Amino acid sequence: MGRLRTIGRRSFLIGSAAVMGGVAFGTYMVQAPHDNPLAKDLAEGSATFNPWVLISPEKITLIAPHADKGQGVSSAQAALIAEELDVEFGQFEVSFGKPDPAYWNHAMSEEGLPFKSTDDRWAVERARATMGGALKVMGMQGTGGSTAMADSFHKLREAGAAARETLKLAASNRTGVPVSELKTANAAVQLPDGTEIKYTELAGEAAQIEPVRFVKLRDPSEWRLIGKPMQRLDILGKSTGTLDYGIDVEIEGMVHATICVNPRQGGVMKGYKENGAREMRGVIDIVEITNGVAVVADNTWRAFQAINAIECDWGDAPYPHEQADHWTAIEDSFVEAQLDDEWRNDGDVDAASGEEITAEYRSPYVAHAPMEPLNAIVQVTDARVDIWTGHQMPIILEQQIAALTEHDVENVHFHNQWIGGSFGHRLELDYIKQAAEIANQMRGTPVKMTYTREEDFAHDFPRHIAMGRASGKVADGKVVSMSLDIAAPSVLGSQMSRVGITVPGADAQIPAGSWNNPYALANFRMRSYRAPELAPVSSWRAVGAPGAGFFFDSFLDELIHAAGADPMEERLRLINHKPSRKVLEEVAALSNWGSEMGENQGRGVAFIESFGAPVAEVIEVTQSDAGIKIDKAFVVADVGTVVDPINFENLVMGGAIFGMGHAMNCEITYSDGMAEQSNYHAHEAMRMYQCPEIVIKGLENGHKIRGMGEPTVPPAAPALGNAIFAATGQRIREMPFHKHIDFV
Amino acid sequence: MKLTFVSLSLALGLVLTGPVLGAGDNVEINPPAEGSVNREDGLAAWDRIYEVASHPRCANCHTGADNRPMWSGPSYGRARKHGMNVNAGESRIGAEFVLCSTCHAYRENLHDVPHAAPQVAMNWQLAPVEAEWFGKSSEYICNQLRDPERNDGRDYLALAEHLDHDLILHWAWNPGGGREPAPYDLQSHVNDILVWGVAGYPCVND
Amino acid sequence: MEFTVNGEKREADVEYDMPLLWVLRDELGLKGTKYGCGVAQCGACTVHVDGVAVRSCQLAAGEAEGSDITTIEGLGTPETLHAVQEAWVEHQVAQCGYCQSGQIMQAAALLDQDPEPSDEVIDIVMSGNLCRCGTYPRIRAAVHTAAKKLQEA
Repeated sequence: MGRLRTIGRRSFLIGSAAVMGGVAFGTYMVQAPHDNPLAKDLAEGSATFNPWVLISPEKITLIAPHADKGQGVSSAQAALIAEELDVEFGQFEVSFGKPDPAYWNHAMSEEGLPFKSTDDRWAVERARATMGGALKVMGMQGTGGSTAMADSFHKLREAGAAARETLKLAASNRTGVPVSELKTANAAVQLPDGTEIKYTELAGEAAQIEPVRFVKLRDPSEWRLIGKPMQRLDILGKSTGTLDYGIDVEIEGMVHATICVNPRQGGVMKGYKENGAREMRGVIDIVEITNGVAVVADNTWRAFQAINAIECDWGDAPYPHEQADHWTAIEDSFVEAQLDDEWRNDGDVDAASGEEITAEYRSPYVAHAPMEPLNAIVQVTDARVDIWTGHQMPIILEQQIAALTEHDVENVHFHNQWIGGSFGHRLELDYIKQAAEIANQMRGTPVKMTYTREEDFAHDFPRHIAMGRASGKVADGKVVSMSLDIAAPSVLGSQMSRVGITVPGADAQIPAGSWNNPYALANFRMRSYRAPELAPVSSWRAVGAPGAGFFFDSFLDELIHAAGADPMEERLRLINHKPSRKVLEEVAALSNWGSEMGENQGRGVAFIESFGAPVAEVIEVTQSDAGIKIDKAFVVADVGTVVDPINFENLVMGGAIFGMGHAMNCEITYSDGMAEQSNYHAHEAMRMYQCPEIVIKGLENGHKIRGMGEPTVPPAAPALGNAIFAATGQRIREMPFHKHIDFV
Repeated sequence: MKLTFVSLSLALGLVLTGPVLGAGDNVEINPPAEGSVNREDGLAAWDRIYEVASHPRCANCHTGADNRPMWSGPSYGRARKHGMNVNAGESRIGAEFVLCSTCHAYRENLHDVPHAAPQVAMNWQLAPVEAEWFGKSSEYICNQLRDPERNDGRDYLALAEHLDHDLILHWAWNPGGGREPAPYDLQSHVNDILVWGVAGYPCVND
Repeated sequence: MEFTVNGEKREADVEYDMPLLWVLRDELGLKGTKYGCGVAQCGACTVHVDGVAVRSCQLAAGEAEGSDITTIEGLGTPETLHAVQEAWVEHQVAQCGYCQSGQIMQAAALLDQDPEPSDEVIDIVMSGNLCRCGTYPRIRAAVHTAAKKLQEA
């Protein structure tokens, strides 16, 4: 279909760029490099070659600007630079760096674009470049969408190589030995006679040279680090309790605060009664903030005690108060007027003939609930604002806080911290704004604001709810047609509205993980419908694909069973993208697909491509009187290039566990306008005893490098549901599954 | 510390619902005169005792040989095994795996935090496996409770003493954290035990 | 109140009700023990009190008074790792790592009482410690490795 002709009304972030900054940019602005932020406060005798490498006479510092939420990206970024710079782990320090437009994310544009990731036609690549140009002009530094490796893979190796060549030039200038005869290793330039000059010794001279810009990158066959197991840089700190997360940071003179904001999100606070909270031990102050109240105390727990004593009078929520009404709003959205886009319309689903199957699917609100409750330290003085916390969008953060405290953005300084999990919650800014609101009312004093876990749940922006209505036809043992309509509120719209950005066009995340799967089904239609905004929602690990992918693959499985075909063979018959086919074939081999299973056992397969990475999962379950036991899982993913096989395995397993756990037993429901689930007892996800053995394999057939933080999440739910069907004959069309079946 | 707690409760505007007697309160043991209670009144007292025994605040820790406590009651959609794969072991205090007291710590005052681990001023534990109540019928529990082989050799007076001394039992009527307390109150429950005992421990199957 | 924390006498002027967790974190500056849920649902705050694993968010300071408390900082240091920590480093268990202090303390307590735990025992003992990144398969493997290290020691 004429996809390129319809781009104009799509959800380009490019549109939001214009809305946000009013920027006009020409070729020059897109091509000109950003200034190197490291050059601004460069100490005498130190050298910087680009925004990622800083060498002083004392040490080598590599800047890893992507936020580390546990995905190991600090180590991975450092490894990419170190690969070309010829420094080893242990010979450098890694810093998150200061927020800067120079760290704009080259790869973040893709998920907002209405193209299949497998679509590499010239015009599509041009659109990606245009979008990337917009993000560059905006200086959009950010971590998300599993883009860190795609963004960094070339850029950081080039940064390392350019620094290395400049250091060689400095060594050549000093010794008179031609650059071509110099080698580098172990953070030193090696002369032909075997003497070594440490990079740190060359810093002063290198600083006087115009940095080398263009260097040919090494062939993969020469890689020392990439593709080999690494020991991540944070492992010792995280195994000894010595690594400080944001919640652990201490600033001289700091006080402890916590907040209570209307749990009917967006609703006002009409008033509050202190109920003696001000007189409770340790309480320093009680201050109002937007839609709520904060307690400042000398100890976090004393602040918690006091906030619980305060009684607030909450206004209504700007969305339906009862969960049933949220579902009604979704059901009512399957109408022409709310058609967001038609993503595929191949063949003719109406005209196809065969036995017809229909089904309806649901995906609930789900909380992020990272292990580290949200927190931030903010210090506001008349001259500047300092912020210590972990966040994924540092540029937007500084802009938003500058607006709040009425400082110039140059005087707002964000110091990124290690993050104890995010799953998307640290894309949101409320917790930092709340800390800033408190600190702004007590200028000079650093305020550490910590959410109680209950506030974290009450004030999460969960994954959006969605419904899928599917129909399809089978004939002669084959699937001949499939139609899937999905209705959901726009997660992108909800999220961006909170930073004042209006996103035009269709939301590509409503159908993500469905239409883009590379199946050559002769008759295939996929439409998305945009429900009105309900509860405020946000990107949750893999965003749209855990819901839409569950609908898509589960229903495909229904059709395959109705046709009497083998779930693996029929998927293989339909798939038409080579790396994706390979992923399915490998998971079939790994799981010994087709081999005999015991009584009450079943296995299910699912395949979903998200964030450019095709992933197939096979799950095996056993049914007992007490419920379903997950016995084993097999995961095969293609990321183009595996940077660190250990971290890769960790992320692949973690994503599958995250997907299974939430599919089993997690949902957020609203009653009286408030989330009913307040802590992990009501939103458990997977515990160790439920965790199966997981066998994984990484493939490298894709031609682009992809991130692995998200893509193994979406196939887990349908693979589990398909396995349960195989074992029990019960088809579960709604997450969480425990509403329909018990797990042991 | 009691005083601190009371004043804190007032400061917090807490309203302790239900019971008159709370953890640590003494009960009075005044059995009716021998022969003064007929079978009908004895059975009526038993029905009330059963309401208590089968209530989640009691039955959840009177579970069987799998040594798994239960989570059930108004705040749970369906009765389920205690989360986190908790297993109290044959020791019934978790000694083989994780001690109940790892979370259910010893505490002098009410732990009034919603969804937190209930705590009392003694070691948290499951009742002996002989006293399995969860999901059992009135008739079953009645026969168990009067069987010295399965009630630790207690007569009605000893049962009443046990209710007086075992603070974990007092907790059932003052569970805190927004939990629904067991029905009636501790003193009424003790009185019912005494009435039932004086009536000759009647069960419906007699 | 007085406590012995990681072998040192420490004092804190706190109320009976303050959970040991917050005495450690905000009064004594020991940040390795983490706040995750406050209601014994996640285990991130696990420490040893008189040798027994305890959720420090549930233990009133007044009940911990006078006890011998070991936190993750006292179990081993980056220079002198405890066998469990060694195993955690070798297996590269941590992702975000926020739950791992608690996981390690619980695992160390498990190996104190059962030097060679089966997977079934590990699954009972460790299931009170929530990990949202999904490091469970590595935790299981690391517990077995730590058990071997302790037996060989």
